[in-house]
Amino acid sequence: MTRSRFGRRMMLRGLFGGATLGIGLPIFECLLDDHGRRFAHGEELPTRFGLWFFGNGVRLDSWLPTTEGSDWQVPADAELAPLAPVKEYVSVVSGLSVKTPRHPHHSGMAAICSGGPHLKIDDVRDTIVSTFKYPSVDQIAADHFQATTPAPYRSLEVAITRFRGTDEGTTFQYLSHNGSKAGETNVNPSEESPQAFFERLFGMGTAEPLVRKARASVLDAVGDQIEALEKKLGNRDKARLDQHLESVRDLEKRLNSPAAECLKPSAPGEFPDVGGNEQMAEKNAVMSDLMVLALACQMTHAFSVMFSTCGSGAIMWPAGATDGQHYMNHTEPAPWTKQHESMKFTMAQLAYFVGKLKDTPEGDSNLLERCAIQACTEHAEGWTHLQDDMPVLLIGKGGGRLKGNVHFRGAGGNASRALMTALRGAGLPLTEFGYEEGKVSNPITELLNV
Amino acid sequence: MDAKRFDAPPSAWGRAAGVVALAIATAAGCVGDIGGGDGRMGGGGSKKPAFVPAAPTIHRLSQVQLTNSWRALFGASLVPPPASALPSDDQLYGFTSISAATRTISPLDAEQYETATYGVLEQVWAEPAWRESVVGCAPTVSDGPCVANYFASFGRRAFRRPLEVEELARFVALSAEVATSTGELWEGLRFGTAAVLQSPHFLFRIESGESAPGDDAAHAGLLRFTSYEMASRLSFLLTDAPPSDTLLDAAASGELVDPMRVRSYAEALLHTPEARDTLVRFFRDFMSIGRLDQLDKSVDLFPQFTATLGPSMRTELEKLFLDTAFEKVGDFRQLFTTNRTFVNEELANIYGIAGVVGPDFVPVTLPDDGRRAGLLTTPGFLALNAHKTATSPTHRGRFVRISLLCEDVAPPPPGVDTTIPEPDPDKPTTLRERLEAHRESDQCRSCHMLMDPIGFGLEHFDALGQWRETDNGLPVDVASDLDGEPFEGGVELGQLVAELPSLGACVARRFYQHATAHLDKFGDQAAVDALVAAFVASDYDFKKLVIELVVNDGFRYASVPEVGP
Repeated sequence: MTRSRFGRRMMLRGLFGGATLGIGLPIFECLLDDHGRRFAHGEELPTRFGLWFFGNGVRLDSWLPTTEGSDWQVPADAELAPLAPVKEYVSVVSGLSVKTPRHPHHSGMAAICSGGPHLKIDDVRDTIVSTFKYPSVDQIAADHFQATTPAPYRSLEVAITRFRGTDEGTTFQYLSHNGSKAGETNVNPSEESPQAFFERLFGMGTAEPLVRKARASVLDAVGDQIEALEKKLGNRDKARLDQHLESVRDLEKRLNSPAAECLKPSAPGEFPDVGGNEQMAEKNAVMSDLMVLALACQMTHAFSVMFSTCGSGAIMWPAGATDGQHYMNHTEPAPWTKQHESMKFTMAQLAYFVGKLKDTPEGDSNLLERCAIQACTEHAEGWTHLQDDMPVLLIGKGGGRLKGNVHFRGAGGNASRALMTALRGAGLPLTEFGYEEGKVSNPITELLNV
Repeated sequence: MDAKRFDAPPSAWGRAAGVVALAIATAAGCVGDIGGGDGRMGGGGSKKPAFVPAAPTIHRLSQVQLTNSWRALFGASLVPPPASALPSDDQLYGFTSISAATRTISPLDAEQYETATYGVLEQVWAEPAWRESVVGCAPTVSDGPCVANYFASFGRRAFRRPLEVEELARFVALSAEVATSTGELWEGLRFGTAAVLQSPHFLFRIESGESAPGDDAAHAGLLRFTSYEMASRLSFLLTDAPPSDTLLDAAASGELVDPMRVRSYAEALLHTPEARDTLVRFFRDFMSIGRLDQLDKSVDLFPQFTATLGPSMRTELEKLFLDTAFEKVGDFRQLFTTNRTFVNEELANIYGIAGVVGPDFVPVTLPDDGRRAGLLTTPGFLALNAHKTATSPTHRGRFVRISLLCEDVAPPPPGVDTTIPEPDPDKPTTLRERLEAHRESDQCRSCHMLMDPIGFGLEHFDALGQWRETDNGLPVDVASDLDGEPFEGGVELGQLVAELPSLGACVARRFYQHATAHLDKFGDQAAVDALVAAFVASDYDFKKLVIELVVNDGFRYASVPEVGP
């Protein structure tokens, strides 16, 4: 491969808030054509797809832009105001509904992240425990990218706030799901510690070729054992081992391919509570920095960031909250000031991540140009468990496929349209998307250039 | 107290559902019976369904089980990787075991297993004496008897059954391949061992069963767990660790398909300290008290709240469990009525007990002031089922209904505004008074009337579990009722709950769910009924419940799984 002949490591100073930090510049400029939009051999620069999730809904009256169509506007105190500096890259979707059978939190979560219904596990009681019946969109994109522009990691997942749900199944604890073929729970757990995420991506160093080869042989033997075992088991266990096999093969493939070259950032360390409060903004910043770096280095093309869980009980103390957000939603009286402040804070965290993507040069423009990110939550408003008028943002230009800076307001249509549009924005050639009542074939053309 | 109800015969299914059905005649559709709760089960006296157990499944080792398995293979001096570096344990329906029976191994999990495996092997291989004691001989050729014998014996302990010929051949070949490429025989063994430790046969407990023998007419058409599978079922259930060599030898002789032999091995295991630790983990899941480790209360309102208080509360409850289940001979339901508990200094402060100093726990007898007795008045239960700043009669009641009585409570219907009125500064009200709003709304009443009245009886305890006389400046009112039975305060509530037949039945049922790693369904009814009856017949002796479980049909038999498209 010609690319690896170049010394691709370059120091780029001042990229991260003025600090001196070395990062890898993985798509080295001399590999690109004159316009910086393609590799010299003609292949398009890859698009990245991401899912950015926050729990419990918004406060609609201060979330929705005051204008529809292009160049949406919001008042200075609006929940989307923190995204103003990057609004050229942000489209707002409103007015779409969850069409799958409704249940507080569960159905909204599964519908807005996967385009299908949630799956009750052991369907024997009302106090339900659920998982996703179908894969979350980040995994749909990961499938596509691994088939077209494979990266060392199929996908990467991080979580910011600590709260991990009540006992209501994986829907309340995880964001990225692989779907459930036969009642199994199949999730992609998020890295929760910045230090662990850093060590996973950058800490290992490159093992000796002989050791890599031996490790790959071990995994090959493990994979063969899984395959042999599958033949003896029932459908549900077979589905579970299918995933195990895929996970092992994934790891094996990574050992057999050249390591991604990224210059190592400095170790982020841990983020213990300060004065009994979670360091949300600090953790968000460092997780965002690491994820941006992983995307810039093409360690992966698909990712998810779970700022907070479905039904999150994280205490949004920077917004003045003293109780968990879910409880706050069910006790705070109108006009829900703390919820409003919590959303402004949450959008500021999203804005930090999006801003970093924009500040990261790639080819002739920046990394955000080649991202398609769906930001969403499981309810429109938490206190009524509302699943109409679902708040969704589509962020990035998807390599020119997404227009950006448009407010599209539907009239009660299917929320899966937003998901389909996001995936189309990442270059997936979908003519339809979604499952069961969540199935659609009409993307939001108002937000797409193609 | 209604002594008749207390001693009545144990047809738990009909009883539990019947009592509830009577009490909530107006709440149709809200309450069910968890497990079989589709209405087919209650009603008392209806025809018993045929015994149809769950299909066999594979169980992913929990973090504790994985760590114990490594230690069993390499010795107690092994320093296992920290829990944060291992795939997480989740709970489904409360239980780690149920999640372990449904979770897959994700790419991140596979990566963590790989890293952890090499971390473990690095420790052992770094010390020649250690690795030689594990391997049992010094290899001189890459595929000689030393290597083959090692993988046969190590593999048997790791997979908890003898290796098949092809499996053994593959490990030997892999080891030889790496020995050749690296020029190091020990490197070959290291990577061969890594393949054993990342195998699905090690990371999961594999169970597929065998046909029940032809002369076993009662279980015709079912599978029974094999002798080896039973060895692992017993050992992991009772010690969270793989079977000992003794138990594996018993498995090899085929003994463990015999319930009498299973009973006798289980009785021996139950006497080990490991069994106590392991059953504490069942209790932790059963009561959801693992969450106490992340307890979070407002330090503004509760300056005495510290990061260690939640774990102390958990420890108290676990000590109460051990004391009731293992030390006292007798009725497990004393857990809900006992005036004995265990406190350290910070817990003693919550209780208002003087003279306890330091972090170590001491047994205490609670003062005879009528304020506290039993689990429902422990700070751990009260604080866990409350918010950061305020109590939650709803959550406390919900926990009793769902977790202790195995009833079901539906969530709020979509679209209902669940905001409860804020206190009006000019017209102070108690939380109880504000929650009365639930009674006024048709949509809220049917379910909240199952939960809130239980919690009203505990309003003398604030969000940290401390005694209080007032709420929002007004005296608290703890007179309430449980399904029409009046009570006043936490002590009487504990008495009342302990004596409900559904409480004893629920303990047995939750243990069945934990042990069989699934929610009991229609086909489990006969097995659960038998277990409940045995628990009642033992006068609610928890150790007897454990022994009865391992010989219960639901633990020894399985249905043929669904195979094919």
